[in-house]
Amino acid sequence: MTLPLIRRAKEDGITFLLTPKTKTSGLHQITALAPAPRIPLTPPAPGEQYRFHFDMTKCIGCKCCVVACNEQNGNPAAINWRRVGEIEGGWYPYTHRLYLSMGCNHCVEPSCLIGCPTEAFTKDSATGIVQHDANMCIGCQYCTWNCSYGVPQYNAARGVVGKCDMCYGRLSKGQEPACVFACPEGAITIETVDIAAWKMEYELTANAPGLPSASDSLSTTRITLPDRLPPDTARVDGYNVKPEPPHWPLVFMLVLTQLSVGAFATIWLLHVLHAKAHLHLGAVAAFVVGALALGASVLHLGRPVYAWRAAKMWKRSWLSREVLVFTLFAVVASGYAALLWQASPAGALLGALTSAFGLLGVTCSAFIYLVPARPAWNSRRTIAEFHLTGAILGPLFVAAAGVTANPSLLRFAACAAALQIVNQAFKFFDMIRAERCEMQASAKLLSSTLKNQVLLRATLLVAGVMIPLLVRNAAGAALGLVFALTAEILGRYLFFVSVVPKNMASAYHVSEAA
Amino acid sequence: MSRNGPFQPSIAPCNSRPAAPGRAPFCGLSPRTLARFLGLDILEEQYAFASDSVTGYTSAQKIPDHWVATTCGYCSVGCGMHIGVKDGRAVSVRGDEQHKANFGKLCPKGLSEHYTLEAENRLRYPVLRRKGRLERIGWDDALDVMARQFQGVQDRHGPQSLGVISTGQLVTEEFYTLGKLVQLGLGTSNFCGNTTLCMATAVAGYKRSFGSDGPPGAYEDLEKADVVFLIGANIAENHPILFHRLEKNPNRTLIVADPRVTKTAMMADVFLPLKPRSDLALVNGIAHILVKNGLIDRTYIDRHTTGFAEFERFVEKYTPEFVSAITGLDQEQIYRTALLFGHAKAAFIGWTMGVNHSTKGTETVNAIVNLSLITGNVGRAGAAPFSITGQCNAMGTREAGFTSSMPGYRKFESRKDREDLAALWNIDPARIPTARGLAYPDIIEAAVARKIRALWVIGTNPVVSYPNVDVLRQGLQDLEFLVVQDGYHPSPTTELADLVLPAAIWGEKEGTYTNSERRVSKVNKAVEPPGEARSDMDIFLALARRLGSYDELFPGWTGPRDAFDEWKRVSSGRLCDYSGMTYELLEAHGGIQWPFPAGSSPAKTSRLYADGRFETADGKARIWCADWEPFPEQPDSQFPFTLNTGRTVEHWHTRTKTGNVPILEHLSPRAWVEMNPSDAKRLRMKPHEKVDILSRRGCVEMVELRVTETVAPGQIFMPFHFAEWNVNQVTQSAFDPISREPNYKQCAVRVQKAGTL
Repeated sequence: MTLPLIRRAKEDGITFLLTPKTKTSGLHQITALAPAPRIPLTPPAPGEQYRFHFDMTKCIGCKCCVVACNEQNGNPAAINWRRVGEIEGGWYPYTHRLYLSMGCNHCVEPSCLIGCPTEAFTKDSATGIVQHDANMCIGCQYCTWNCSYGVPQYNAARGVVGKCDMCYGRLSKGQEPACVFACPEGAITIETVDIAAWKMEYELTANAPGLPSASDSLSTTRITLPDRLPPDTARVDGYNVKPEPPHWPLVFMLVLTQLSVGAFATIWLLHVLHAKAHLHLGAVAAFVVGALALGASVLHLGRPVYAWRAAKMWKRSWLSREVLVFTLFAVVASGYAALLWQASPAGALLGALTSAFGLLGVTCSAFIYLVPARPAWNSRRTIAEFHLTGAILGPLFVAAAGVTANPSLLRFAACAAALQIVNQAFKFFDMIRAERCEMQASAKLLSSTLKNQVLLRATLLVAGVMIPLLVRNAAGAALGLVFALTAEILGRYLFFVSVVPKNMASAYHVSEAA
Repeated sequence: MSRNGPFQPSIAPCNSRPAAPGRAPFCGLSPRTLARFLGLDILEEQYAFASDSVTGYTSAQKIPDHWVATTCGYCSVGCGMHIGVKDGRAVSVRGDEQHKANFGKLCPKGLSEHYTLEAENRLRYPVLRRKGRLERIGWDDALDVMARQFQGVQDRHGPQSLGVISTGQLVTEEFYTLGKLVQLGLGTSNFCGNTTLCMATAVAGYKRSFGSDGPPGAYEDLEKADVVFLIGANIAENHPILFHRLEKNPNRTLIVADPRVTKTAMMADVFLPLKPRSDLALVNGIAHILVKNGLIDRTYIDRHTTGFAEFERFVEKYTPEFVSAITGLDQEQIYRTALLFGHAKAAFIGWTMGVNHSTKGTETVNAIVNLSLITGNVGRAGAAPFSITGQCNAMGTREAGFTSSMPGYRKFESRKDREDLAALWNIDPARIPTARGLAYPDIIEAAVARKIRALWVIGTNPVVSYPNVDVLRQGLQDLEFLVVQDGYHPSPTTELADLVLPAAIWGEKEGTYTNSERRVSKVNKAVEPPGEARSDMDIFLALARRLGSYDELFPGWTGPRDAFDEWKRVSSGRLCDYSGMTYELLEAHGGIQWPFPAGSSPAKTSRLYADGRFETADGKARIWCADWEPFPEQPDSQFPFTLNTGRTVEHWHTRTKTGNVPILEHLSPRAWVEMNPSDAKRLRMKPHEKVDILSRRGCVEMVELRVTETVAPGQIFMPFHFAEWNVNQVTQSAFDPISREPNYKQCAVRVQKAGTL
């Protein structure tokens, strides 16, 4: 497609955009009525795309761009598709406080798009603009975890995400984007960039203090920095670390699917080892828990009725893969439970398949969280953490359901719990050792604001696996399961709230409600 | 709560993050709620886009039925803008590309100004205090009570026992009407405005130097000057559109003198981080170097000024060594500044509150004007000593009001001026006071001393904005009757009132504003005022009827046009001559600068004193010798910090307006105090920690600390917008002896961890 910039501009009577830039010649000539064009006059050629240019040397931090963007898009005050952050450096009076104005960076490799389980995101082939279609969005918010800049923002009132689209609708009519038009200093402009050349040189001009690395997704925004930045120039919001939202439906969905998978794996092992047990009852119970978990996950969506769309982009999105694999798991698990009920010989095979899909599903779950934008999640320890939850809760669940009184189940759970605690300890040490400020901030959260919850989780976990070993009856098993389940739910809660996402620097005083 | 704009989604989210505000539990099961919960409804209508020939492609709900041209109601830059009206509601604003102040650009406050109209705390009907509570009454009763109470107080305690404190926010027509009403109708001269907290110093300084108020330059000078010297003016934060004008000047050298590293300072070519209130020494020091090095315009001095010989001797002592010791600047910096200024072809000096908010303010203004006079930098393109004003129509009240001078910059002391005015109004000259009444701080002190017994406060919020506010609160509480006329209620001031009158605000009434460069722009009504609220003009005329002075003072008047017509006659032949203006001309030309005598053509930028003739008796500008003094309350071991106060770009004055604009509140939700890291380390205070700020007069509690190198060690800075963290609990009652403007900028305070009091 082409963007008929010039033609449309004339039609709409907005010819000033086409006024060629005139050189002003000094003292006695004023050119106030002829703003230099701030958008390209021609559409990008093949191999090119549009991008923002932000000139930090011109920005005075007035935030006109933020207000204009919100007016343009009708967004509520707490949602800002364009934001202005602050960075500061130097010593009085040689102090520099600089402002970073940023919308979407319309990345060459947009991580929001790659993560999206539906087709809500597209990268426009003509302009390179990363667009988001609210109608296709199901409100899973996975894009908000994927973007290193915090660009897509969830609008709870609508149940969908939204983001800067460079005012595509305006550009295509030859109009300046709202932020570009509003800026009194001409600090924001739209340019055309050659993508191949940009890939070679972006590291020099796409990065700035207070911004995550442009390498995460190949940001296209070009930033002009002042010539001499003080060496200590850095973000000013580093001291203001707040816990992230807990995502309760996901906490339950993750812990309970892991429990269900662990339980089915345990049942299948008991099955193939010909242990003396009431496997069919356990299988039904585990299926019910798994089904509840998958149901709970739907509540996380802004638009639950379109949950089915989530399986669509399995070729690129781990969320789609998780949905697909767990659906298969649920189908096979129900079959397995039915066969166990009938004591069919084919059951063992289906049990193996159930366990395999289950373990694969848990792995997919974990991979959702392995995103560069969230450093505390982005490690193999997340995969271990999810599987260990299954390994703790599965056997305890089977024991508590009265399937068998075999103590080796309980010993297995205890070992898994020990590994889980070790895994968490290593995760914490990783955070302390890391150079990334987000990792250190996560460690700070866990050791200060969230300290009590961390200790409670460990205590409950130890109690949960020890009680059934010490009190060898149904009550002991049930109590152990309750303790361990609470511990793992608390653990997953901590997983969500303690992650400190990468983001652009914010202002020093941020609104509490944001 | 009746607002149904975009910031109040009509459907509450059901499954949002727990942190999301305004979340309703999933309980209501209307079809719409259910559809929203399931995700079938994503508020598509509310978030739809549409295309329009004026706005271009934009949010559909922001596209109006029609546009109303007007002028911004916040600051004195006076930006032209259009209000978009849809179904009788203001839904959007846009800058006026034809307007000569802003050429289409607006600041963030202007860009969201339409939200001020539908704020939840707009007052919709008059309220009267009965048994301690403010209760609704009708307009007739309200005005009757007001007239009766004022007359009662004046009968008992004399006519001067009534005080009136007005504002810089009304239209010029209303200021003109109010002046006549107060001085002639109510018969009190104890009439002042909140402009005394802001611009009185510039007024007094101009009067002393030039013989009249009136900033001589124009915004265009920012674009034409080769040296722009800003003293105590953070225009990038407080007048962003002027910074936009300045940035169009590629040849300028920007010099900024400020104790704080402001946004403007960071953009400067030469930054002079001087010690607090050492500006007067710096300016005299520059004059010293200019005189010593012959960088002065002898011809101009001889032809157009008086007092230079004395001045030449006076600045002898302001040697670079002496000035360096006072200001903390290197001698080299002082030399460099003086040489840049002295060699400039066109030098512009701009100042704002850093100069005005000072007990030496008026004299500092005189010293600044001296620099322009001795170098001949007055009345030429790019060359002016230019006071950048505060409120949208502070200039209007200076011209047409009847407070510190008579309408048309006439002087109380001048018999000719009084007779002149009496003849225009067809009244006995003896009715016009021969001296101004009490200035704002003196009205407050008279209230405390129980000499002022009734007060009428119009369009201002002194319980937040007045220094050492407990004194004012005492004064207001002791009054027999306090009337507050405002667009917003409750505010800290209306809460103390006996009667609150609901006024129409910007966007709801017609008239004119004058901006800092003497440009008169049209203000228009876009929407109806809420409820029973009435324009200030309406209220003044209605009160005049009750006082029996309507027929004499305002015969047959119905609205602002009547006042404008008379004001044109009254200003005719004066420096601020409006006689050639009409509302239609103002609208057609993007504002017109005065003087604009009848028969003028609205041509190019005008400057005052281009012919070198000033408004003094001898036609010459006066060069004053203004000696530097330290500020009154120096820090000591008990109160070791010097507190500086100021603004942030998102907010306006006491936040009655911007505090109700969701996006501005979101961007700047709380007050803060800035402190240098070395001080914070010594006091073991951490960023974002809550601290208390104490002075000999009071305390501001629980202020969020910002540790930053933008303030010098030993100094702290706090914004004055926030009633919740009111910095005026600690500022001092020290006033310029000439202008009566408060010394807001420096006082001695202590900072301690919150809760250790």
